[in-house]
Amino acid sequence: MKKEIKIITKNWGKINPGRIEDYAATGGYAALSKFIREMTPQSALEEINVSGLCGRGGAGFPTGRKLGCVALEKNQEKYFICNLDESEPGTYKDRSIVDNDPHMLLEGIIIGSLIVGARKAFIYVNGNYGKEIGILERAVEQAREKNFIGESILGSKYGLEMEIFAGAGAYICGEETALLNSIEGNRGEPKARPPYPTQCGLFGKPTAINNAETIANIPWIIENGGKAYAKIGSRKSPGTKLFIVNGAVKNPDVFEAPLGIKLGDLIGKYAGGIQLGKEFRFAQVGGSSGRLALEKDLKLKLEYDCEAKIPLGSGAVLVVDKTANIHELLLSWTGFFRRESCGKCVPCREGTFRLWEIAKRLQDGEVSERDVAAIQDILWTLNNTTFCPLGKFAATAFSDALENFRDEIYKISK
Amino acid sequence: MKIKINGQDFEIKPGETIFQVCLRNGIKIPTLCGTKNSHEGVCRICVVECGGRLITSCNTKVYEGMEIVTESEKISQARRINLELLWADHAGKCAACKKNQRCELQNLATEQKIENFHFIPRKEELTDRENLDLLKDNRSRVVVDEGNPCVSRTTELCVECRRCINICPTKELAFNHRAGDAVVGTAYGKPLDCIFCGQCVKDCPTGALTDKNDLVGIQAELDDLKKMAVALVDPAVLESIALEQSEINSEGKLVGALEALGFEKVFDLGFGMGLALEKMAQAIKTSGKGNLMLSHCPSFNLLVDKYYPQFKGSVLDVANPDELMAEAIKGDYAKLHKINPQDIVVISISPCVAKKKDRSGKLDHILTVRELGRLIRQKNIKLAEIKSVGFGKDFAVKNESAKDMKRAGGAAEMIAKMTGREYIVADGVPQIKNILRDLDKGRIKTGLIECMVCPGGCVNGGGQSRK
Repeated sequence: MKKEIKIITKNWGKINPGRIEDYAATGGYAALSKFIREMTPQSALEEINVSGLCGRGGAGFPTGRKLGCVALEKNQEKYFICNLDESEPGTYKDRSIVDNDPHMLLEGIIIGSLIVGARKAFIYVNGNYGKEIGILERAVEQAREKNFIGESILGSKYGLEMEIFAGAGAYICGEETALLNSIEGNRGEPKARPPYPTQCGLFGKPTAINNAETIANIPWIIENGGKAYAKIGSRKSPGTKLFIVNGAVKNPDVFEAPLGIKLGDLIGKYAGGIQLGKEFRFAQVGGSSGRLALEKDLKLKLEYDCEAKIPLGSGAVLVVDKTANIHELLLSWTGFFRRESCGKCVPCREGTFRLWEIAKRLQDGEVSERDVAAIQDILWTLNNTTFCPLGKFAATAFSDALENFRDEIYKISK
Repeated sequence: MKIKINGQDFEIKPGETIFQVCLRNGIKIPTLCGTKNSHEGVCRICVVECGGRLITSCNTKVYEGMEIVTESEKISQARRINLELLWADHAGKCAACKKNQRCELQNLATEQKIENFHFIPRKEELTDRENLDLLKDNRSRVVVDEGNPCVSRTTELCVECRRCINICPTKELAFNHRAGDAVVGTAYGKPLDCIFCGQCVKDCPTGALTDKNDLVGIQAELDDLKKMAVALVDPAVLESIALEQSEINSEGKLVGALEALGFEKVFDLGFGMGLALEKMAQAIKTSGKGNLMLSHCPSFNLLVDKYYPQFKGSVLDVANPDELMAEAIKGDYAKLHKINPQDIVVISISPCVAKKKDRSGKLDHILTVRELGRLIRQKNIKLAEIKSVGFGKDFAVKNESAKDMKRAGGAAEMIAKMTGREYIVADGVPQIKNILRDLDKGRIKTGLIECMVCPGGCVNGGGQSRK
């Protein structure tokens, strides 16, 4: 293997996450002082644009463009939000960032806020991350003592307040408009777009919402320049990414790998390959909402690309071997979406419930013709008519499984 | 600016939604959650096609050069599936439903030609275990609220369209729980205790929110030969009774229909209105100089009780016209005609839901326009054969202009004439809130304040029928 490039995980296991001095000793907060002493928001934004960094939450929207939109807004009051509402099953990359190196995240949030001109930043944390909320609170306190947060940061004209906001652990609140609703004190439901949050977000003010992993890349880019970042990884989506490999592999964990890595390499080289005595069947890429990659797809590159056959999503890879029960998987997927749908629109609220009901009846492998027609109808309406992408996600894995393993999933009872 | 709808060019104004453009030009798009003013985009039935993609017409703004198709196979498939999904969750036994034949879900299913509901499994196709599972999980979250005298709530029939949430002026209703368990409810699931303006009942597309009543009992009292049933007809009822029963297009027809229902006497509430106006004017003349609020809107009285108790003293203490007239009927009128007051049943036909709350013993029942329509349908009265009849002469209306009390500002205008004081009028809760706030800060010097909770007054009352 070539020399690994580590950006986010470079300090993991080497420093005490509870001590800001440890982070500073490894060159932490150097990017912030570089930004304040040598750069303007415009030049920093240019570096991020050049780097080609794109959103790590799943959609892969270019970060530079998003920040640029908010920076251009004339409004006096703007907000910057770090989305740490990680609730995709089998995904724990953002949690690992906080566990191992919270100050890198804070530095990214501070720089990002100053670039867009926000004077208030929120960290929206999944309510189930009790330990992480504690770590973040301590980290914010330490950063405030060192004058990285507060009025006139490091003696400059910049000022920033930071608040940690704990959600209630709902999956839908990871969707940016639902997240805004949640912070505003409303029910966590998506809002219609447009207007986009970049123009009319939190409390009607322009708001930049970014995933925690995306933000953790910013200090490195500011310190080493956008050009250096653009050289890493694939041409379409540069940089490294945290991958979480779970399931029937020898070494399930979080790995940092350059984007564009082949799925087979990720499983084989990073996660130590398939467990002894087991055979690879398929891998689900991107959490519960991800598509299924079969043996023939192992050579596909993992990158953010709207035409990719297998969308990368959150970067979670669930490796399923041949002993796994496909019916149980179907029940677990449909059960998850049935539980996590917000209940706003008809196809998602009722469709996910009916799909889960049918998945329960599928357990013995026999269904009636009416059920088969019902499955087709529900998957179609979830795919085409739901309010937000959650409904679409609810249909993805089920459709893929039906396409590839139909004979095993059901036979029609007479 | 122009857009193409079904290949035809249409002029648009910036900021309009697709639905509004279609409505303006007479292109029909079915919808369940949206009304003229609200666009939630949750029922996904108003979908149209734009560039091969399905989008909701109610919350998508038009732009120059947009090309829209409003009828296609894909669109009707989406509408059919989403409607069927709603029906699968709908526990309606239509024949016994208060909204039967007036239900938008029912009408949509007929319109979209829904013939079978295949999301509900048939019993014989299930194994015992599956059957048990189905019983166990199926719709455990049902909220039935009968804890108040005005509004019945049953979430079994709810389609989660959010119209009630959007229209509610005091924000009493919201969603509780999530996913399939999501139900419209009150804070902490307590029984509804609001100002009972009834606008939510008026707007509800299904039987989830209905007027609370005992129509069977009322019909029995009407049929009882020993009892004398007296109807009081609010002039505002004529505004919308034709929407409920199109044959009733005049005052005379309405009286005829009421007599056919079993009412012995039908009186015009205009008499009671005159009485109330006189009493209010009297009370104002004898009172001091300060600001006074008229008391004929029961919903407003509840609003003051609940949210603005500091103003309780400045609201006049005069009962509403229905009560005054019921008192007159059971008092002087009964004595004059030598009838035992206990044998008289006074029923007010009213556009108001809030009147059902806090009734004195004199007024026996309140029927909203919707309930009257249902009674007429239940009794199967041949409305085409009904003759026009005049109101009872015993309580002839002395002053026709007293009937103007039905619209916001009517009462204040007349009382101002009688007392020579100045007045201001507020209709709708937002306006009322503004006025009461100004009053609190001492910015208002006028003598009389009339507040009507329903926008426009009783003509748009919560008990009226809706198109």
